[in-house]
Amino acid sequence: MAFFFQELVNGLTTGALYALVALGFSMVYGVLKLLNFAHGDLYMVGAYVGFFVIQWFGGATSLSIPVPLLLVIMFALAAGLVGGLGVAIERFAYRPLRDAPRIAPLITAIGISFFLESAALLLFGAQYRVYNTPDFINAHSGITIGSVTINSVQILVLVMGLILMVGLQQLVNWTKLGRQMRAVAADREAAEMLGVNVNFTIALTFFLGSALAGVAGVMAGLLFNQVTSTIGFIAGLKAFTAAVVGGIGSIPGAMLGGLLIGLAESFVTGYLSSTYSNLLVFGLLIAVMLVRPSGLLGQAQLQKV
Amino acid sequence: MKGTVVIAATALGALALAACSSSGSSSSASGGGGGSSTQACVASIGMEGPLTGPVANLGQEQLHFAQLAVSQDNTANKTKISIVQGDTQLNPAQATTVTQQFTSNSKIVAVAGPAGSQEVEAVGPLMARAGLPFITGSATAAALTTGKYPTFFRVVSKDSVQGPQDAKYIIDNLHPKALMIVDDQESYSTGLVAAMTPVFQAAGIKVDHESVSQKLTDFSSLVAKVTPSTSVVVLPWQVAANAQQFGRNLAQQHKKAVIFGTDGLFSPGTFSINGSYVSSFGPDITAIASDSAIAAQAKAKYGAFGTFGPPVFAATHVIDEAIASVCKAGQTPSRANVLAAIKKTDEPDSILGQPIKFDAHGDLVNGKFFLFKIDSAGKYQLTPG
Amino acid sequence: MSLDSPPPAGPRVGSDEWVARQAHRREYLPSWLGSLERASERAGWWPKLAAAAAAAAVLPLFGLGQFQLQVGIDALVIALLAVGLNIVVGWAGLLDLGYVAFFGCGAYGYALVSSGQIGANGIHLPSYLSIPLVMAAVAGLGLLVGWPSRRLIGDYLAIITLFFGEAFVEFTNNVAPSVLGGPNGIVGVDAIRLFGYTFTTNKSYYYLLVIVLVVTMGVLRLLDTSRTGRAWRAVREDPLAAASMTIPVNRVKLMAFAFGAAVAALAGTLFAAQQISVFPTDFDTPILILVYAGLILGGAGSIAGACTGALVVMVVYDGLLRSPTESGYLFYGLILLTLLAKLRPWRRLALVLAATVALGYAIHAIAAAVSDSAVAGGPHSAGLIAGALRDWVVVPASATVAGNWGFVALVCLLVALVQVSSQWRTILLPPTLYLASFVWETRLAAEPAITRQLMIGAILIVMMNARPQGLFGSRRVEALT
Repeated sequence: MAFFFQELVNGLTTGALYALVALGFSMVYGVLKLLNFAHGDLYMVGAYVGFFVIQWFGGATSLSIPVPLLLVIMFALAAGLVGGLGVAIERFAYRPLRDAPRIAPLITAIGISFFLESAALLLFGAQYRVYNTPDFINAHSGITIGSVTINSVQILVLVMGLILMVGLQQLVNWTKLGRQMRAVAADREAAEMLGVNVNFTIALTFFLGSALAGVAGVMAGLLFNQVTSTIGFIAGLKAFTAAVVGGIGSIPGAMLGGLLIGLAESFVTGYLSSTYSNLLVFGLLIAVMLVRPSGLLGQAQLQKV
Repeated sequence: MKGTVVIAATALGALALAACSSSGSSSSASGGGGGSSTQACVASIGMEGPLTGPVANLGQEQLHFAQLAVSQDNTANKTKISIVQGDTQLNPAQATTVTQQFTSNSKIVAVAGPAGSQEVEAVGPLMARAGLPFITGSATAAALTTGKYPTFFRVVSKDSVQGPQDAKYIIDNLHPKALMIVDDQESYSTGLVAAMTPVFQAAGIKVDHESVSQKLTDFSSLVAKVTPSTSVVVLPWQVAANAQQFGRNLAQQHKKAVIFGTDGLFSPGTFSINGSYVSSFGPDITAIASDSAIAAQAKAKYGAFGTFGPPVFAATHVIDEAIASVCKAGQTPSRANVLAAIKKTDEPDSILGQPIKFDAHGDLVNGKFFLFKIDSAGKYQLTPG
Repeated sequence: MSLDSPPPAGPRVGSDEWVARQAHRREYLPSWLGSLERASERAGWWPKLAAAAAAAAVLPLFGLGQFQLQVGIDALVIALLAVGLNIVVGWAGLLDLGYVAFFGCGAYGYALVSSGQIGANGIHLPSYLSIPLVMAAVAGLGLLVGWPSRRLIGDYLAIITLFFGEAFVEFTNNVAPSVLGGPNGIVGVDAIRLFGYTFTTNKSYYYLLVIVLVVTMGVLRLLDTSRTGRAWRAVREDPLAAASMTIPVNRVKLMAFAFGAAVAALAGTLFAAQQISVFPTDFDTPILILVYAGLILGGAGSIAGACTGALVVMVVYDGLLRSPTESGYLFYGLILLTLLAKLRPWRRLALVLAATVALGYAIHAIAAAVSDSAVAGGPHSAGLIAGALRDWVVVPASATVAGNWGFVALVCLLVALVQVSSQWRTILLPPTLYLASFVWETRLAAEPAITRQLMIGAILIVMMNARPQGLFGSRRVEALT
């Protein structure tokens, strides 16, 4: 039973991370109907930002500021910088393509992804950058119930993930901004006619989505320790999967999708086989999609007439 | 708008054609003139490695050490050797294209690389047809040196030697009742696992064979499968940072198993889990007096490094020396001459702390392994194997 | 050189009336280019295809080396894939992100029946048997994978097919290593042997691929104008309307999958035979990206576009960008071309260029006066470019850090250029151009492998922004649901 709970905790943690990345992906999809394949690379940039913050304050073993302050700076800076980068990308690469065939921005997104990945390789080098989290957050602190351990980084990721998800949900549902976002997502032209500043709303959505990716990147750095220019690809793929399985464009769907994938990976690895874990997870997800063709929480798309 | 695009496309096409033809003519023209200047010993070395992509850290390290070797040997031997980069992304199809690029560039007389065994399988016939010698610093599959690729050499030992030797050490010294062995779904790793597993099974050890993609960075769910009776986890991996994370996950979940890693894990500063073992084809070059200059230079110029650089340094050095010896004999450094000189290589000592001499199939004669145990300070202590 | 000449009257399926008329009314270029374009429109599709085939056939006579031939082969394989993908994505409008798996299945299928992999001596089927067999089998698999397309639409189909693509790589990497070889793949695949001729050299595969590609394009062109082709496009535009006009939507979708898979399988057999081996990594996402980039860049929906786009992408990515010298030409060439195309009137262009040149010499003179080491590096480019730039661009002795900051500044400047007004743009352009050259000479030219990825990314972004419908695509009004 302990084994079950251990895998549950592991799955929930990685799932929360996937969910955060998927959230941003799904938000952008919501307003632009764009599969932003560069989203994972924003996550990578966020992870690098966190690493350089640690370096700036003296490195993992000799930090010059208290750890909570460090964490706040890391998350704030990653959110701000990556969010800004997302807005710049939208302005530079996606806005000119807003009325183009849907598949055109897909290629632009791939181009952005290539560009960000190789720019990181050029600027930061190829070697793995390591957070060394255990040097400033004790790996053994945390909660131990029986033989199940939830360490403090996992708690941090889970709690922050939950707060961000709920916060975003509230933002989209209850604020003016959220209404504008939903309006743009539902019908851009109609929203514009009703006085919604579409460009601003889209830019802001990009900012929020990218900032979430940046925050997730820092969390990944804390959790998995290593950062390199290619970690974005897998994360982007997982985010895409989570968003679609949950019902693309739906925020609770992205959360559910992310958690589902995290748990599925964890349990398949734990109980079945690590060799075939990806194959089995794909199989499981295909089955989910076949039963619910619009994703778990997605609404069936209206057929236009 | 339309007009502009047409003009642009036409001009781009013309540019492409011009560039294509210019490269074609330059490579064919230089064929005759390349070696005529005997006093200045001019030649190029191709460098194949995953310079971008998921294992760029490996390829970039190899590239940096190749560059170091060339700049050092150029000064020592008064040669003018330059490096031509070829990015393979650890993909055989790309390695094929790069190899065609190198074989049709007559300035290139030898190749350092490629990195992966599957790449060697793909490019071996092409290299043989072009008579182009190539020395790898990391392809260890046993099947490569059966004599089918006459221009192939390696400065590291094959996994059919390393695997059983490591397995025997684990059985004799660590006495596990059950162990977990995890491959990373790459050619290097599956080869070693295939060589080790039968030895463990023959000794009556319960083997849990797992497999995890090299691109994955989360091992917590795999670590949860490590049972209390599993006292050893064997990780024949290429990415040291992954093993470090695996070790951390072990500690976080209060598992007591000892990690036993191979070559790729040899990376002081990156992999430093207390009590782990690493078996490596190279010694700790930072601990060898004669290598300290190179190690310091590499660290200053490119930052921390692991185990993949030094063998490529050794490979490039072998090529450099071969070219220099051809020039010294008053011959032109052609592929055939350099190949013959490489075959005659007999270095009493190398950066890898052992002599380099090739057998008839290109394997290292008497390739040694070094076994390290990592102490609590993260230092690699040489352990008699 | 469009294969898709507009039909004589009325709007085409797939473009609404306004767009169709717009296309007819499009401004004819005044000069010889205009008459060339009109002539090519009158010529119809097959003379153009024949001309392209002839051009491809005589190309090796101009002394192509083994490398150029290899690039040609790679490009032709990708072009074949793009033409096949065009059926699924361009015509039927189904976003299939697992397409490369069919390519892989073709290659692995051919490798299994043409090597010593199965059984004691292996199976060595003759090529005229194995190729059709593999194509048929993979087409069947295409039907199976296309099955969910009956219910799933749009991006939900994309994810299922993406799973299929990923699963293929996982499968070949992990399942039955004794048969599929795991990461070590299958080596020693038989050469293709047809009509008593064994294809062994690169040149022979080049010609074989040209023939196969031309024949496939011809067949697909006929298919395009057939009932099935029209049905595909009707389904792409509006499945509901198509269904109400008695088009069997599901069957038509499945047919697109099957045809696309068969073409991919054909490409796979040729790829396996030419490489003499197959490995799981040959069929991973990067290939998918290249095929899509080629198809979309060329213009989804157009056979000529798919083929040309893929050839351009591959020749640039696999050929030109691999060599530092040629990627240098490409870099400076593209910058000049963009300036030529975008900067009007010419006085403004001349002003910007003159200012850039003057700025460069001024900065170089100042830097040289301040310190010798600031200009000690010398440009990394070789040949003509280096000679031209020696006294113009500043390259410090140790340039890595300066180059990195320059790169960041360059990207910021480029983003800023889009935002500011036209006057400011003129003022900002010379420093941007100079900075671009500085970054290239200090950093990018020294790292050809990384620069290659960077350049292809930048080219994709710029090209899609310049021409969202692709080189040969026609603008369509797309109604979003």
